[in-house]
Amino acid sequence: MKNTILKEVSKIVIPFIQIFSIYIIFHGHLSPGGGFAGGTIFGASLILYRIVYGKGDAQKKISYKRLMHLMCISLIFYGVLKGYGFITGGSYIDLFEIPLGTPGRILSGGYILPLNIAVGIVVAMVMYLFFTLFYEGEV
Amino acid sequence: MEIFSIIMILFLIGSAIAVSAIKNLLGAIIAFTVYSLVMAILWQQLNAPDLAITEAAVGAGITTLLFIFTLKKN
Repeated sequence: MKNTILKEVSKIVIPFIQIFSIYIIFHGHLSPGGGFAGGTIFGASLILYRIVYGKGDAQKKISYKRLMHLMCISLIFYGVLKGYGFITGGSYIDLFEIPLGTPGRILSGGYILPLNIAVGIVVAMVMYLFFTLFYEGEV
Repeated sequence: MEIFSIIMILFLIGSAIAVSAIKNLLGAIIAFTVYSLVMAILWQQLNAPDLAITEAAVGAGITTLLFIFTLKKN
């Protein structure tokens, strides 16, 4: 799309959207929001970049290979960490557990923060993938 | 219930009827976006800001984009 105003405005707006989404993900256990809501907003910023800058520029930043790597690594990370939490949570096995910080801080939720980050990455990539499949038929 | 919520519920019912009544497809998509936005405001009025954020991002943002680009392909 060849529109100078759109390009310049989105150059300013896209970092603020991404910062806001990261804020929502990182404060998921303290305030409203969480992995799904923040990941959706991050995916919306990627979609805006794809619409404004076109296919070539977007493929340099987010290629198909990188997208699949991010999605699969965070999905495996989610499964491993959640399974570890299930194993150590209910039984009497004395394995390592994440220390609980002081309540109210960001590092106080145990497993919730890394799980929220993994969910956010998966949701953002899936939203971008859906949009590109609807828009042009390929990533 | 507050008067604001009643007005929003009336808007919600009106836009939900308009989605199924409008013959033009682009108009129906815009009415569906209005439905989703009013629903987000109502979630916030019902003390569920978590759902309000998700509804505003998914319902009013990405679903509308997917509908419009699918309509543009035909």
